[in-house]
Amino acid sequence: MSDDKFDVIVVGGGPAGCACAYTLAKQGKSVLLLERGNSAGSKNVSGGRLYTYALELVEPGMYQRAPLQRKIVREQIMMLGEGSAMTLDYVDYGFGEEVPQSYSVVRASLDEWFAAEVEAQGAMVGAGILVDGLVEKGGKIVGIRAGEEEMYADVVVAADGVNSLLGQKAGLFPDVKQHAVGIGVKETIELPDEVISQRFALKAGEGAARVALGCTEGISGGAFLYTNQGSISLGIVFNPEQAAKHGRQIQDIFQDFKTHPAILALIEGGTSVEYGAHLVPEMGFHGIPQRLHREGMLVVGDAAQFGINTGLIIRGMDLAIVSGLAAARAILASSSPAEAGPLYMRQLEELLLLPNMKVYANFHNIFAMPRVFQQYPQLANQALQFLFRVDGKVPEPMAKGLLRILKSNVSFGQLAADGWKAYRSL
Amino acid sequence: MPNLLVCYKWTLDEQDIKINPADLSLDSSRAKGKISDFDRMALEEAAQIVEKQGGAVDALSYGTPAVKQSLKDVLSRGPNKVYYIADASAEIADGAVTAKVLAAAARKLGGYDLILVGEGSSDAFNQQTGPRLAALLGLPCVSFVAKMTLEGNTLTATRKLADCTEQVTVTTPAVVQVLSEINKPRIPSMKQVLGASKKPSGEIKLADLGLSPQELAPKAVRKSVKGFVMSRKNVIYKESNAEANVQKLVASLAAEGLR
Ligand SMILES: Cc1cc2nc3c(=O)[nH]c(=O)nc-3n(C[C@H](O)[C@H](O)[C@H](O)COP(=O)(O)OP(=O)(O)OC[C@H]3O[C@@H](n4cnc5c(N)ncnc54)[C@H](O)[C@@H]3O)c2cc1C
Repeated sequence: MSDDKFDVIVVGGGPAGCACAYTLAKQGKSVLLLERGNSAGSKNVSGGRLYTYALELVEPGMYQRAPLQRKIVREQIMMLGEGSAMTLDYVDYGFGEEVPQSYSVVRASLDEWFAAEVEAQGAMVGAGILVDGLVEKGGKIVGIRAGEEEMYADVVVAADGVNSLLGQKAGLFPDVKQHAVGIGVKETIELPDEVISQRFALKAGEGAARVALGCTEGISGGAFLYTNQGSISLGIVFNPEQAAKHGRQIQDIFQDFKTHPAILALIEGGTSVEYGAHLVPEMGFHGIPQRLHREGMLVVGDAAQFGINTGLIIRGMDLAIVSGLAAARAILASSSPAEAGPLYMRQLEELLLLPNMKVYANFHNIFAMPRVFQQYPQLANQALQFLFRVDGKVPEPMAKGLLRILKSNVSFGQLAADGWKAYRSL
Repeated sequence: MPNLLVCYKWTLDEQDIKINPADLSLDSSRAKGKISDFDRMALEEAAQIVEKQGGAVDALSYGTPAVKQSLKDVLSRGPNKVYYIADASAEIADGAVTAKVLAAAARKLGGYDLILVGEGSSDAFNQQTGPRLAALLGLPCVSFVAKMTLEGNTLTATRKLADCTEQVTVTTPAVVQVLSEINKPRIPSMKQVLGASKKPSGEIKLADLGLSPQELAPKAVRKSVKGFVMSRKNVIYKESNAEANVQKLVASLAAEGLR
């Protein structure tokens, strides 16, 4: 092997790129993993939840080495009202047994760990390198460019995240469209571990994951919260088009969310250690570009717009890992770069990534219903307030009161239309 | 062709250090390491010299075991080889101890025309390493260098002093302490980054430097390090109308004596 030619160059040291490079290097391929951040993970804002099965697919037991935070046993759904909130709390200790279903993770440490695992398998890892172009020859992609320099490979894997420059340069898809992504703002708030356990009724090592609606001032979007070791990850994802028209800055809406009494009680006394914003693929199955490969190049992870958001479940990292694995398997099974693309698409089916995404294909329609983000959460809170209120006055008859609250938020026509639309989308 | 040695320090990135507001103690548990800012200029200057006239650059560092994290980084900035002394004693070493260790190592390695150091480390900024190193090695020291050229065994340097500049020439070997303005260090290119993992590094054991426990005992002892924070009042006005908020703000500013 010459100094500037590898079997595979993987661009991007997120979960997709690391899973791909790890698998290839483990099977003896010469691999170069390039990451623009000074270390893998340094460009990634705070935390999230990782579904463990994905790491198990890469290598059984691998999750035990990973710097995972808390295994999630509590799933919570919150609907915020003005000064009130309704929280549904589902605890299932079965989620924490054997191979726990999911863990909260802090990306900076997860990515750094994963890149070190890649290096330990013999791959070369170059951090602090921004790949800004591709090298093409005879219609094939044969390498990458960073500044003035070039490196060559049989296959280039684009794992460069949601706004994939490489996919665009390869002509596979245009620049990301505003309506196809959500913009996420996130913050990590440090608190003593015992305090977190107490506030969320958790035992050491166990975690809670929460989604919240009614905190976006009617903009399509929602919030999430994860408990880590010694910190809480908190964030909101917004539809950028609506946010732009809204008039208020999303940081301000996020700030209001943090100071909502029901949220403040959870994070009070903590120190904010990290704040950032990032895009998320939002269109689900319909957002996946028509072409994810060209001779000499495969596109994986967020770059391929793989993501599932059901409102209750946010999945991106697991799909990134699975797609990285799919690309690696395809490359390992192909005898020429031309074969890798079709094999990759087949692996995406076999590893059940595309079938998973198809199930939720129309979910984003639900998020196109504006009332989901304001009227319905408000309705739930007002109804509960009505049911729980005792002030010595004669209350309205229950059915009448509830009907009044319902009508003050939505019309029957809207309710029927939304119900039908939701039913169709599921 | 000149043989150069650059001494550098692996410091904590001050951006990652948090100040605990309760007692002003520093929390560096999340801090990543970096090559001390001013030492990067020394590395860059050495790289530029050998790019122009050939020669070789070695790098040398004395630090805690964390110094090993610096090796790839420093090698991506030009040096052909890096030597390091990784020892817990570095945690409390003062300028004198650091200079003694570096001088002993430089003597052991031998044969350098120029030893370059940065103006001061980006953490303690004692500015002692250069002059002390020169004294211990019996070499001339050229400090506060804003510009330099090396021709044969003559170094011509512009020293920048408070309100004047001074041109000096020195016959090598010598120790040069460069100012941060001497150059703008390049960001290592992809090939430099990748090439770094193929370059050699050599550990020098502190025990092999022949320094006595007395010599390694720092005379300047750090008693404490505390953060400096501006105390803020942290008042948020949360009335629903902006006018009331502004009125309250103005009233409280006036009460503070601001007018
Ligand atoms: C607010 C928010 C919350 C989320 N929560 C969750 C969650 O709870 N669970 C979940 O599973 N997913 C979640 N996601 C989605 C998840 O973060 C992504 O799906 C996942 O990170 C995708 O991994 P990836 O490796 O494809 O891309 P990334 O993680 O984006 O990694 C891409 C990497 O490539 C590097 N890179 C980019 N361009 C270049 C270049 N030109 N040269 C060199 N390097 C480059 C970047 O620095 C980066 O390190 C969330 C996303 C957001 C924004």
